[in-house]
Amino acid sequence: MDFGGSPSSSAASMPSNDVVMDQVKQQLAQQYAEEFFAVVRDKCFAKCIPKPGSSISSSEGTCVTRCVERYIEATGIVSKAVLQLGQR
Amino acid sequence: MDADQKRASFELQQFLEQEKQKAMLNELVAKLTEVCWDKCVTGAPGAKFSGSESSCLTNCAQRYLDVSGLVVRKFQGMQR
Repeated sequence: MDFGGSPSSSAASMPSNDVVMDQVKQQLAQQYAEEFFAVVRDKCFAKCIPKPGSSISSSEGTCVTRCVERYIEATGIVSKAVLQLGQR
Repeated sequence: MDADQKRASFELQQFLEQEKQKAMLNELVAKLTEVCWDKCVTGAPGAKFSGSESSCLTNCAQRYLDVSGLVVRKFQGMQR
């Protein structure tokens, strides 16, 4: 097995920085999206489905829709508040 | 390492440090949003936030960070 002798030949077979950085950014974004989804799902289930029935009623469905929108909005409000505090 | 490799390695290190900072900030915002949602959005979610819900969220986030600072200073005081 030949692992490549000189330092420059092993560098040539490694992915470029740009490729690595893009992959890292993509994976971080994916992870963030998955975590965000899980939190919103849990919060909105807790808020909107106090007593689970045999199906989701139309008012429960509306509640979930609004809950998702409000939670996204809340994230924006909190994000702004944190950045403002950092600037004081 | 030759000069190109050193430069590439430094660029990558800087990038990773930046992404780490961004991720930590995102984590802080996510944690604050969870805590402040529970404190401030107590009823059914509406079609938009009321003024009091909005200001509650802002105040909650900032007071949480203030408390964080107070606790740190208290601990530091207790170590002397």
